[in-house]
Amino acid sequence: MTSGLGDGTATIEVDEGLYPKDAVYGAAYIFIDRCYVHLDRAGEQRIKVTLKPKKPGLDAEALVGEFQNELLGQAWRRQIAEENRAFIESITARALGGAAGPPGLDDLLAMDIGEESAFEDPLGIAMSWEEKYKKKDKPAEGEAAPEAATPAEGEKTP
Amino acid sequence: MTELRFHEELYDGFAIDEAVKVYAPYAAIDLSRDGKHYVVKVTASAETVEQGVTEGDLGAELLNYALGQTISRRGAEAGSPPVEKKEA
Repeated sequence: MTSGLGDGTATIEVDEGLYPKDAVYGAAYIFIDRCYVHLDRAGEQRIKVTLKPKKPGLDAEALVGEFQNELLGQAWRRQIAEENRAFIESITARALGGAAGPPGLDDLLAMDIGEESAFEDPLGIAMSWEEKYKKKDKPAEGEAAPEAATPAEGEKTP
Repeated sequence: MTELRFHEELYDGFAIDEAVKVYAPYAAIDLSRDGKHYVVKVTASAETVEQGVTEGDLGAELLNYALGQTISRRGAEAGSPPVEKKEA
């Protein structure tokens, strides 16, 4: 089978069982600016990659080594991305949710807040100032007044 | 004449069409099928050769363009949400 690239080429055969097609494409794309790249089938589950350097000074065999390294890197990167897909999607969804900003008036009106679903308020934040700091009833007669109310000895009262 | 062969499992047909359109002003290009291969025959025009571009280089550039377009198209397709297979 001819690649159409003429002389000065180097070829590699890649097993698709080891390196997925996307990894081969990824590596080919990296080399497309330095080489002419041709892909062909070399059999079942095998891809033949032909490289021809664009500049005459470049060594085709050295490029083959570089291509194989890139291929390995691409395959490994894709495997990591695949393993962490759920995690990446979760982070992206959270980031997009945060970027959407606080809920609008329509969202708040659409929320179902009733007696049962209302939030708890253990710190009394939702309580009014009067309700929270209202004066307590005066102590009954005969009971000692609180110490703070009686001025200390020698202290002048206004 | 330079003959280029593109396997249908590795190259997108639309990408090859696009590459042929891009390089058509510089060469006479014939497109055909041979089994599982798209066959592109490139004959550089006299003007192109006069400008110092060899037929081999022109064919090789077409080859790279078709590969680049194939990868771009695959990337665009991969960006769309995958279709989940539901078990019956």
